Amino acid sequence: MLNNAPIWRWTLGLCAACMLGACATTPVQPWERGRLARWDMQLDPDPMRTALKEHTRFSKEASSGRIGAAGGGCGCN
Amino acid sequence: MALRPNPLLAQLLAASAGLVSSAAVPAEPVAADRSISYRHGDYDEDALAQAPLDGSDRRYRVRTEQFRLLTPAGEGASLSVDLTHEVMSGSSPWFSVPDANGQPLQVMSGASIHDRRSELGVGYQRALAGDREFTVSASYSAEDDYHATAVGLEWSRPLSAAIELGLGASFSHDRIDPTDAAEFGRIAQATKNTWSASAGLSFILDRSSLLQAGLQLTRSSGFLSDPYKRFFAGDRVLNEARPDQRLQGSLLLRYRRALIERDAALHLDGRYSIDNWGVHSHTVEAHWYQTLAEDWRVIPGFRYYTQSESSFYAPFASVGELGRYYSSDYRLATGGGVSASLDLRRQFGAWDWVIGLERHRATDALGFGSGNDPGRVSYTQIQAGFDFRFD
Repeated sequence: MLNNAPIWRWTLGLCAACMLGACATTPVQPWERGRLARWDMQLDPDPMRTALKEHTRFSKEASSGRIGAAGGGCGCN
Repeated sequence: MALRPNPLLAQLLAASAGLVSSAAVPAEPVAADRSISYRHGDYDEDALAQAPLDGSDRRYRVRTEQFRLLTPAGEGASLSVDLTHEVMSGSSPWFSVPDANGQPLQVMSGASIHDRRSELGVGYQRALAGDREFTVSASYSAEDDYHATAVGLEWSRPLSAAIELGLGASFSHDRIDPTDAAEFGRIAQATKNTWSASAGLSFILDRSSLLQAGLQLTRSSGFLSDPYKRFFAGDRVLNEARPDQRLQGSLLLRYRRALIERDAALHLDGRYSIDNWGVHSHTVEAHWYQTLAEDWRVIPGFRYYTQSESSFYAPFASVGELGRYYSSDYRLATGGGVSASLDLRRQFGAWDWVIGLERHRATDALGFGSGNDPGRVSYTQIQAGFDFRFD
């Protein structure tokens, strides 16, 4: 299962992203974070929309998953 | 401008004034305002591309009502209550049989499926010393034939001024009591348990961009078959049979960039998933949050999903070909889909009105060979409602 190329490419990408993030050493002070605090910069600006779409995809696709605690199941998959 | 007052902005401004310590990555702030939200959802599947051999061609339709209450619950804490009610109707793919050329023909259930699902979810989020934060959640979902109880825990803490660690875990216990079990030889009652754990690192890259990278592991055990799916085995039609264990892993990336000169924000999301059933999938998603006028926001989006088939998927089998596990469920077949969406938001004082449309079209898989399961589905989904803030 693990000898396929995509997982290694994604793992490499993930590691590269973490290294990129960790190397972004220019400190951003709290008073410089106004842009980051915008509603449209939240990781999930509309949780209800996300919940509905995730529920639909959970019932129609073989894969599901996100960062955080998963919710309960339903009889649709 | 921000479409609604952002409690985190107030927190960060307070931080700049030295009132609280400097938080790391702004992700999911503890609510400072009370709000109630409502959404109506309408999900409608297209008819099959080719008329089914038997059964109804009227596929699934789901009406969803969602309610959410978000309120502060003491200093640095908030409580959320979510109620969801769904009404489902239509027909569902049952199994497929070969035509004269060996191509699968779909057999659908009758259009007699009528079901309702209600779910109650409660979450409690609390900020702790040192900018740590935790959330506990619980939910219960009930249908005529399915009951699920879930609990979850999320915890985060800053590792530095620009990096935050988040951990999550959840458990769900599900029980199924299939209808017409005796008539169709279905299992009378069964259960399954699902454990999930996740870890993520969030980075502030600069004043305008965020990155989150993470992974999730999910282990399911128990009765993992769909009791309503059948399988054509050449000389007989059987209930499908899936393994009773499944282990899934996902790698996830999320990137957010504010483009102040355009008054917009770009969201990019990617996910790669793999499991021990042989399914692996890629998901790529992009959204553009554009502020048009002072109180309007338009959000176009695009998503591509592609997956390989499970090791025990086949549209049908010949006599003597049957393995230990077998399923012709289109959701385990090679395939994919593209989705385009458009959401509009308009603020009127304390009210945010929301309407969104998504169109999903099933396609061949990209990079996983071609798939041609006759049950694969295209659909249209509409969601509309409001958020209302009050003291």
